[in-house]
Amino acid sequence: MGKKRKVILPPDLPPEVADNDIEVSDEDLEFIGQNREYAGFLTKLDTKSIDRHVKRVAGHESDDLEALYEQRKRKASLLKRNDDDDKLQVDPVDALPVKTLDGKLEYRTVDRTKSEAITNEKDNTEENEKDMSVVKLTKKEKRLKIKKSRKEAKKEAKVEEKGNVGVEKLHTEVLAKVEEDLSAEELFRKKKIKLAEIGLQLLENPEENIKSLKELLKNCDDGNQNIVKLGLMSLLAVFKDIIPGYRIRLPTEKEMEMTVSKAVLKQRFYESTLLNSYKAYLAKLIAMEKKPSLRQVAVRCLASLLDAVPHFNYRENILAIVIKNISSPDDTIRKLCCNATKSIFLNEGKHGGEATFEAVRLIAQQVKIYECQLHPDSIEVLSSLTFDEDIGKPDTQAEAVKIKKKGKWKTPDGSNKLQGSEKKKTRQESLAKTREEVTADFKSVSFAPDSRERKRMQSETLSAVFEIYFRILKHSTDSHASRSTTDAASFSHGSSSLPLLAPCLKGLGKFSHLIDLDFMGDLMRCLKQLAGYSDHGTIQNPLSVSERLQCCIVAFRVMRNNLEALNIDLQDFFVQLYNLLLEYRPDRDQGEVLAEALKIMLCEGKQHDMQRAAAFIKRLATFSLSYGSAEAMAALVTLKHLLQKNSKCRNLLENDAGGGSLSGLVSKYQPDATDPNLSGALGSVLWELSLLTKHYNSSISSMAASIMSMGSVNPAQSQVFLSTASPLQAFRDSSILCELSKPTSKSATSRQKQRELQKDYVLMDPEVMQNGNLVDEDEVRRKLEDRFAVHKVITENERLRKELNHTLSSISLYEEYNRQKKQKRRRTTKRVLGD
Amino acid sequence: MAKKMGRRARKFAKKNLQSVMKRKRKLNALFQKKFAPRRAQSDSPEESKNLKNDMQTPVDPEQEILDGIVSTNPFGDLFIKEDDDSAADASDSDGYLSEDPECPYISEDEEESCPEEMCKDVVLLEQNTEINQRLKNQKRKLSKLCKKDPQFSKFLESRRSEFLKSKSEEIYSDDEGDTSSMDDEYIVGNEISQVSKVITSSTVDVWCWLVMEQPNWPGLANLLNAFRAACHYGLDTGEVSPVKIANREVFCKILTFVLSEAKRIFCGLLRISGFSNKETILKMKNKPEWKTTRSLIKSFLRSSLFLLNQETDNQILVFVLSQIRLSILLFSAFPSLTKKLIKISIHLWVTGDKDLSASSFLILRDIASEFSLDNIDTCLTKGFGAFIANSKFMKPQNIEHIEFLENSVVELYSLDIQKSYQKVLMSVQQLASILRLALKTKEKDELKKIHSWQYINCISLWVKFVSCNYKNHDLEQLLFLIIGVIKGIAHLFPGPRYLPLRFKCVKMLNQLSFSSGVFIPVESLLFDCLEIRGTNNAEGTKLKHLDLALLLKVPNQLLKSQDFQQASVLSAIKLLAEHLSQWCYHVSFPDLATIPLILLKRFHENTSIESVRRPVKRFIDQVQQNSDFIQRKRDEVSFSPKDKESVDSFLQLEKCDRSVAFTKFYDNMLQNALA
Repeated sequence: MGKKRKVILPPDLPPEVADNDIEVSDEDLEFIGQNREYAGFLTKLDTKSIDRHVKRVAGHESDDLEALYEQRKRKASLLKRNDDDDKLQVDPVDALPVKTLDGKLEYRTVDRTKSEAITNEKDNTEENEKDMSVVKLTKKEKRLKIKKSRKEAKKEAKVEEKGNVGVEKLHTEVLAKVEEDLSAEELFRKKKIKLAEIGLQLLENPEENIKSLKELLKNCDDGNQNIVKLGLMSLLAVFKDIIPGYRIRLPTEKEMEMTVSKAVLKQRFYESTLLNSYKAYLAKLIAMEKKPSLRQVAVRCLASLLDAVPHFNYRENILAIVIKNISSPDDTIRKLCCNATKSIFLNEGKHGGEATFEAVRLIAQQVKIYECQLHPDSIEVLSSLTFDEDIGKPDTQAEAVKIKKKGKWKTPDGSNKLQGSEKKKTRQESLAKTREEVTADFKSVSFAPDSRERKRMQSETLSAVFEIYFRILKHSTDSHASRSTTDAASFSHGSSSLPLLAPCLKGLGKFSHLIDLDFMGDLMRCLKQLAGYSDHGTIQNPLSVSERLQCCIVAFRVMRNNLEALNIDLQDFFVQLYNLLLEYRPDRDQGEVLAEALKIMLCEGKQHDMQRAAAFIKRLATFSLSYGSAEAMAALVTLKHLLQKNSKCRNLLENDAGGGSLSGLVSKYQPDATDPNLSGALGSVLWELSLLTKHYNSSISSMAASIMSMGSVNPAQSQVFLSTASPLQAFRDSSILCELSKPTSKSATSRQKQRELQKDYVLMDPEVMQNGNLVDEDEVRRKLEDRFAVHKVITENERLRKELNHTLSSISLYEEYNRQKKQKRRRTTKRVLGD
Repeated sequence: MAKKMGRRARKFAKKNLQSVMKRKRKLNALFQKKFAPRRAQSDSPEESKNLKNDMQTPVDPEQEILDGIVSTNPFGDLFIKEDDDSAADASDSDGYLSEDPECPYISEDEEESCPEEMCKDVVLLEQNTEINQRLKNQKRKLSKLCKKDPQFSKFLESRRSEFLKSKSEEIYSDDEGDTSSMDDEYIVGNEISQVSKVITSSTVDVWCWLVMEQPNWPGLANLLNAFRAACHYGLDTGEVSPVKIANREVFCKILTFVLSEAKRIFCGLLRISGFSNKETILKMKNKPEWKTTRSLIKSFLRSSLFLLNQETDNQILVFVLSQIRLSILLFSAFPSLTKKLIKISIHLWVTGDKDLSASSFLILRDIASEFSLDNIDTCLTKGFGAFIANSKFMKPQNIEHIEFLENSVVELYSLDIQKSYQKVLMSVQQLASILRLALKTKEKDELKKIHSWQYINCISLWVKFVSCNYKNHDLEQLLFLIIGVIKGIAHLFPGPRYLPLRFKCVKMLNQLSFSSGVFIPVESLLFDCLEIRGTNNAEGTKLKHLDLALLLKVPNQLLKSQDFQQASVLSAIKLLAEHLSQWCYHVSFPDLATIPLILLKRFHENTSIESVRRPVKRFIDQVQQNSDFIQRKRDEVSFSPKDKESVDSFLQLEKCDRSVAFTKFYDNMLQNALA
């Protein structure tokens, strides 16, 4: 955002505030800018909200209120720091202060944190524990109010300078007090606060505080890794914000000698400081990238820098590191790098295409160095490249494009200016107007390279991309050749030893229309070799069926896009496909690839040779007898296409005695022939369809039925209901999940007319069941007697025990009886005595 | 010992006979091995715990799937209900019938016919004599005391009466709830006949004779009371029995006679020829005789149920069940007793051995087919629930039992398709939704649910159900849904580790295809196992026999073993033969066999396992032969594939004869597998 603010203001834009006003209040404004808190605090004294806040801290003495406000201020910055950090961890872009409606970036950040501080005041908890939801709530609640108060503050600040001074005094006092009791934790906290403060100042006024960058950089040498990380992240945020929209060129000696105005000097100083700090920062990042503990942070910073400011100086260095990590085993790092590279490819406007070329070249180097043993992601990114074919076709057109491009560049800048022009900035900007105009002119020239340049760059990029692809293909074929001699055990790992092949094939498919004719022959040879089928099945070929199908698909794509006219024999690929149909295993290989291959090779393109078409028709029919519904459906759709295109093949539908007359070389159908042309399929009959009509899947059976009926329909008519579904679509439609989610009716209608109970056994042998029931009664009797005996003994035992207990208790009662008797006797004697 | 004694008896032994318990514990180890699968659930929690620990698969997910299946479908409340039932059991105690005072009692002095001699339980007997000795000593002491001080005996008397009073109060306060639920109208409590009469064997003989001669003999009540006493014998229920059984012969006679003659007796009483169907029972209820007989019948049924509950010996149980079954329709007049009967039968069906299981199943089937709709429902839900709860584990010992249970559930559900269709559909939809979730999320927990015996057994149960009833009923929707689920399972678990599971899926698909006549392609599911390559060194870990039927997932150490490869190839060939044999008369057989033949030939060339070469070669030859045969035949015909009728009639003659070589080959294969 910062850089956009720097971008030249269109001269016709009127400033919002009158010039004389600004001149008078310049110093005040600056003061407010730096110490916005005080102003805000002052204005809030008479608003409702402050009352509420005071109530919230009712526990404190009123004397301490000022101290509390100081504390709040401190916290505010602290929280701001934290807030930045939290957000940076999530997404660095979000950490940027969001522009408010009047275009002031930094205010909002401060305000937000302030309101946070207020809400968090009451419970003096650790700042770290604050969560994002609180932030959002308070932000929304208070934003409006705060905005209003801010405007008032500006006006009042001019008048009430006294108050300002007073508060400042307090501020220093309290700070001193706080510094006295610094524990280790305090130190950490203090450092964080400091980071936040510096960052804030930088964001608020980069021109004035540019020197603080060095201070921030110093922080990154801290022993505490957390501080280092925080420092790096805050620097990232700062740089992303203040780096201008152009590349800084340091003045030459000659230029230094020239006498220039004060403003130019200031600007020069600013730029050189920025550049030097940036350089130091990058050096630090690059150094840290080598340390495992800090690698993630460093890469994150580099990646987001690359994403945000690809036009700026030292891009090459960043790019080198990012590309180096593009196939990192660490998932997050790899993802970061891939995304950054992708954004380079997608947003060429930011850097004019140079970075794209550099990145591709670096990737090519990587591939070369690591001999194609990289993570697939690193090649995958290439598929997000876009090549503009229109560049520099006729010159006039190119000119128009160029102008259009220029315009595009200007409009967003202008609008940025519009928003960025704030009262407090306007003066500076108007002072620097001439200077910026110059730089803008330079930028517009340097950033929109002429079409010839761009075309050159693009073709270089393209050739680098194809260099990568061909290297991978070459490597694959080489290793394929060497591997086939090694043991068969490697078969299972075949696909993983060539990690880059799959994305490479995908990329080739995508850019097939751009392939140079000179490469074509080699490419085809490679693909043929890779797709190569051998009689001994998969053992000899380390590539999986899907990859081989991919090879066929790519070959066809390439041919179709370039040289329909050029006659390269694709017969080999048809042979591959014909045989690969047998190798296909439903859950091991990707069905989509098969369906796509069927679509590209058989459904689209030229009309096929009749022999070949017949062979494929027959094979597809056989195929659908053995495979699941999805594959069968794709095959049947293709079959239908073929039958529609090759009307003569419809003879296969009829058991015609004359059918044999068409079959050229081979009169009898050879199901296990490997060459479709030699299979003699024209002499066969599609009996498969009769079995397919019994298929459990109703769509397949109806498809088979409709194919069967094609033979009888007039060829001219049949063209009408040419099915639009592609094999791929058919495959997806009849996948297992779809099959499962079909609705089912709720009742079963019996084929018997009346509902009656079925008394017969359906599964079991009734006689066996009845016989099993016979029991030996004598045995039962004996067992019953045993049971009785056991129970009898047990009952007897129980009874005896009961009686025994009873007797024992009776005996024990005797003692009690004796006692009672004695008592009685005593009582009677007493009574006797008493009488 | 555990077999001979009832539950109460065992409880008693635990309390009082420490030495017996010790011995029993020793024996228990043996019993556990023998009876573990049978009584695991009911006997002791420890046993079942051990049992569970033995299993390789963790229990929790299995439980989950059961809950998953059970909780959200109509079978859900199954396990909750059970508690209520047991509560009802407790309160539903029965009393004795009012007796005929005229009934002849023949007293003989045969009571003490020394049962000790018959009893093999020496420990108990020893203890009894010992206690007896001590008792005598103590009594002598007491009588001495009494003699010495006649006052004391008076004191004792007063004390005893006090004690009795307080005790009887206790009993009443406890039993209040119970007595209220009794059928007071006809059943008279025990207070009437406090003096228990001794029933001797001649008495029983006379009674039996009288009962058989005169249908309306009033002494039947006495006989039934005696029967009740016999059923409750040995169980200290706190009440004093009005009859006393003299010896084991009497005991045995009463039980067998009443059980086996009950049907005839009650038929005679009600003056009907027999309980042929529900209508007779309905009619019977309106007869004037019903009033008088009702209580008799109820007492008989109750006592028999009590006996079923108490008895632990399989043969006795089978006997009782088979006798009860003869007069099962009597239960339909007493819904609460029917529920109890269902519960007991389900329990015995699930836990009993072969015979017991079969006879309890017959009871269940009778109830389901003859009784009111309500009872059918209970039978179906409980039966299914019990099956699911018991199909968590597959072991060589219980494979047969589970199959029997499965078959019986299918039988029960096939009785009334209209009614059961909803339940089956709901269950299959439940399974499908579990599968759908697993397909979408691919989460481990979800996969575990499917990859469990419970899930697979459940599916195979419904596959059996569909294939049994497809011909007579319109079950197409269900069929397609089940096919979808099975295909989904096969799709969800690719890779050689899950080959056993896949084989099961293919088997089920073949079964469905056979019964429904639709074409279900399964070949591609089997090709995988032709490509497993393992190490050729079968050193050390050579297993005696690898039974894929008992596995869902191959343990890792076996994955590379030659045994596994061999077993999987052979199973694949068997399943392929099954699939092909179904269509071996179809006009498109050669095309159907094309791809398998190509792949098998290639496999035969490349395989390193010598042991499978021969069967594979044989199979290839057979298929090729049949393929050539069909090819020849169809070259002769003139119709086209679209001519449906001609296609259908193609080779129908041969099909009926089963004369083609491939059929013979397949039949041979089946026989070999059985042998």
